[in-house]
Amino acid sequence: MPRDPKYDILFEPIQIGPKTMKNRFYQIPHCNGFGSEKPLNQAHFRAMKAEGGYAAVCTEYCSIHPESDDTHRVSARLWDDDDIKNLGLMCDMLHEHGALAAAELWYGGPHAPCMETRCVPRAPSQIPSDFEHLTYPKEMDKDDIREVQGFYVEAAKRAREAGFDIVYVYGSHSYLPQQFLTPYYNRRTDEYGGSLENRARFWRETIEQVKEAVGDDCAIAVRMSTDMFMGEAGTQLERDCLPFVELVDEIVDVWDINVSGISEWGEDATPSRFYESGRLLPWQKAVKGVSKKPVLGVGRFTSPDLMVEAINDGALDIIATCRPSISDPFLPKKIDEGRLDDIRECIGCNICISRWEIGGPPLICTQNATAGEEYRRGWHPEKFEKAANADNDVLIVGAGPAGMECARVLGERGMRRVHLVEGQDDMGGIMRWIPQFPGLGEWARVVNYRKIQIDKLKNVEFIPNTKLDAEGVKNYGAEIVIVATGGYWATDGLNGCTHDTIPGADASQAWCATPEQIMAEGKSTGDKVLIVDNDGYFTGVSLAEKLAEEGKQVTLMTHLGHIAPYMHFTLEAPNMHRKLHKLKVEIVTYQIPTEIKEGNVTSAHVYDEEHLTEWGVDSVVLVTQRRSNEALYRELKDSVGIDALVSEGITGFYRIGDCVAPRLVADCVFDGHRLAREIDSDNPEVPLPFKRERHVIEREAVLA
Amino acid sequence: MKVLVCVKQVAVLGDEVEFTDDERDVDPDYLDFALNEWDSYATEEALRLVEAAGSGEVVVVSVGDEDMEDGMRRCLAMGADRGIRVEAEGRLDPIQVARALAEVVQSESPDLVFAGVQSSDSVQAATGNALAGLLDLPSVAVVTKIDLGDGKATVNRELEGGLVDVVEVDTPAVITIQTGINEPRYATLRAIKQAEEKEIDMRQAGDLGEPGSRVRKMFVPPKGEGAEMLDGGAAEVAQRIKEIVQEKTA
Ligand SMILES: Cc1cc2nc3c(=O)[nH]c(=O)nc-3n(C[C@H](O)[C@H](O)[C@H](O)COP(=O)(O)O)c2cc1C
Ligand code: SF4
Repeated sequence: MPRDPKYDILFEPIQIGPKTMKNRFYQIPHCNGFGSEKPLNQAHFRAMKAEGGYAAVCTEYCSIHPESDDTHRVSARLWDDDDIKNLGLMCDMLHEHGALAAAELWYGGPHAPCMETRCVPRAPSQIPSDFEHLTYPKEMDKDDIREVQGFYVEAAKRAREAGFDIVYVYGSHSYLPQQFLTPYYNRRTDEYGGSLENRARFWRETIEQVKEAVGDDCAIAVRMSTDMFMGEAGTQLERDCLPFVELVDEIVDVWDINVSGISEWGEDATPSRFYESGRLLPWQKAVKGVSKKPVLGVGRFTSPDLMVEAINDGALDIIATCRPSISDPFLPKKIDEGRLDDIRECIGCNICISRWEIGGPPLICTQNATAGEEYRRGWHPEKFEKAANADNDVLIVGAGPAGMECARVLGERGMRRVHLVEGQDDMGGIMRWIPQFPGLGEWARVVNYRKIQIDKLKNVEFIPNTKLDAEGVKNYGAEIVIVATGGYWATDGLNGCTHDTIPGADASQAWCATPEQIMAEGKSTGDKVLIVDNDGYFTGVSLAEKLAEEGKQVTLMTHLGHIAPYMHFTLEAPNMHRKLHKLKVEIVTYQIPTEIKEGNVTSAHVYDEEHLTEWGVDSVVLVTQRRSNEALYRELKDSVGIDALVSEGITGFYRIGDCVAPRLVADCVFDGHRLAREIDSDNPEVPLPFKRERHVIEREAVLA
Repeated sequence: MKVLVCVKQVAVLGDEVEFTDDERDVDPDYLDFALNEWDSYATEEALRLVEAAGSGEVVVVSVGDEDMEDGMRRCLAMGADRGIRVEAEGRLDPIQVARALAEVVQSESPDLVFAGVQSSDSVQAATGNALAGLLDLPSVAVVTKIDLGDGKATVNRELEGGLVDVVEVDTPAVITIQTGINEPRYATLRAIKQAEEKEIDMRQAGDLGEPGSRVRKMFVPPKGEGAEMLDGGAAEVAQRIKEIVQEKTA
């Protein structure tokens, strides 16, 4: 289908400084775990977005000097000539697709712990980081200021040499230039502190110097947070940002406008649990109101209608996307080709971000199993090779995330017939009830995207309401059988703390329940509910929120030091805490139940087992651990036996997803995808090795 | 017990549509094909009756070119015993199809003849009734339940407004089957493979005569007045729909 003319405006070129973007789609700076030291992964990852239609693609934050070393987390680096070579490949590959390359020059100040370089970061004032514990900066004197500005200039020249078209002086997320602008970080009394003019001086001078050095060849971009949501201490739109824009508008070629500081940057990279797309538009529009330069900005844009609205409403000139571009690198192309129902929309779960927050591992994505696999596994999100064994028929038992993704990819790979057989009346597995938790509605996109795709694939048939037993599977007539029967929450309190069940825990009792009993089967609880959460991610807190909203008196007990610690990595923690606090959910940490009875729970402190506490409750919810639903697999393997399967013509027998081991939905989707990609390998059960980008030594040469 | 089921492989529209040069049909390049939804219910009902009787056969019949066989194979995979295809090229209207089917019914002498209430592509709901007329057999249309007796059947006929008419009909009879009468079974891969081996007898059509109706022209209807196109994101559109409903129901 041709593009709908109402989206034409998204495909109009736009001038930024000395460069032209061919359309309005911009991949905002974001990390992928590759930096400058995995240059092949880095280049292939970014090039995929250019192939998908993005007019400009940026690096992640890109350190200008060893003093800004974020190890354990992975940033790009432009410290020396070798970094120029490594990041240069990314530029070349972007240019081959007609896209511009952008570098986000970054100096972290106290937030960069310098764990590899062992340097001391510098900052406007000597206050330890609010983000990276125990990192103290050196307070800058005027010489320090000149020196660090020199780092920006040298890095900008290296960026130009590498081939970058756009060079940032990055402040957002509380990094150095924004630290100078912000009273929370800047307590100086000299001409770099105090009045707005003074607080703006460092950033203004730095932009001037970078502009002077490379401005004829590169567009100068400034990324600024226009609200830190921390009152007088933080950066404020009216007081600081709009005057700053007016002050330097002349020398800036493009504004990149967002909100938040670093310690709550979920206000920028918004979880769908708390915010809808386009939530930053009021701030972006305010800046556009005072600037004569193009304004770009994010807002988890997946809908082309909202993108057009943002431009027509005078909020943005350029649509910047981060997570939507990870979830679907071909977002622009799909809009251009009128294939809106093929867009794999980001669900706003922030699993991608969790990897950066954990520090180091390559990014993954719940929706897009190929994210980060472009180079090392050679996966293309939109291209699939016909399988060598495509004349086989495949039976997949279970239409949860793993089974659906596997069916979709096997369909794309041209298998003769794929039957996706499900006991329930629709696809989705656990993702039918998880999106029913408060705020998680968008997570249903995991199911909806795959349903639409499966429906389009002629060779894939979905068969609902059909529970196959082992005999049924054996006699089904498939050459390849894939078991994807998911998992379930333990009903007896088995948990990863004591590695044992909890005496008395029994979800077959009316007063005791598991999450899926409540969410999928409608089991009700009494008024006083104790939730035992040894899982530490979204399930326990979501249930607490739901039950508290229904008016129950909820106690949330965990053996961990925090509730839902994984939510710190997904940036959901701050607002989740606020919510539960408002709902008066009682939070109990470092406690593990030792006995559960109707009406009463006894718990012990994990570091003081003799210290017992009694809890009078009406109901107990067990969020202790998940188990694989492997009954069908075991029966086929152990009772029927592989030989009997082979004699029925079944040459491939595999299992995927939670029924192997319970895990993140992202990892289930990956597992289903991986098996389908490698269904014609020598042994599809074992993942093929991926290319490891590393330094390999010549032993003899080293020893010589 | 022998039930003959008339089935059709219907055209399914994609997102885009172009017409043939003579403007009397949709260009087949823009069509997908699938077994008519009603016919899978008819096949399932036939299978159940024969299974309940303990012996007999289900014969599926189509009129058309070789592409019709895909739909027939689906029915064979569900469990129908054999198929008969009356070879015919080009456009046929329901009367002509019924003439072709009538010859098959006469040669097979089934106890019951089933057809779907209608086909999802031409939606004329005529073939089954025309067939009964040609054969001078009793017929009941839009049936949602069948109780088979001796030489007769008690059937539920769906009427408007949720009403049901319970009628008794002598057999053999022609019955057109409504969706929802049962839950059609799915074919396993094995059954699909086995269906490839089942017999489909190909017969030449006799004189099918003149059609009872003719397509003069197909076109996209011109946009009428008074429609309001709602632009914007889902939330906005939903909001607007809510307002419109409130205005109209105020
Ligand atoms: C995995 C990940 C890594 C990010 N890394 C950076 C970064 O290095 N520099 C930066 O300025 N912003 C970074 N961000 C923030 C994004 O640029 C963006 O502001 C945020 O994701 C909101 O945009 P979206 O709604 O389109 O996702 C990152 C975001 C994600 C998801
Ligand atoms: S991991 Fe989640 S938030 Fe991140 S891009 Fe993928 S779907 Fe979006």
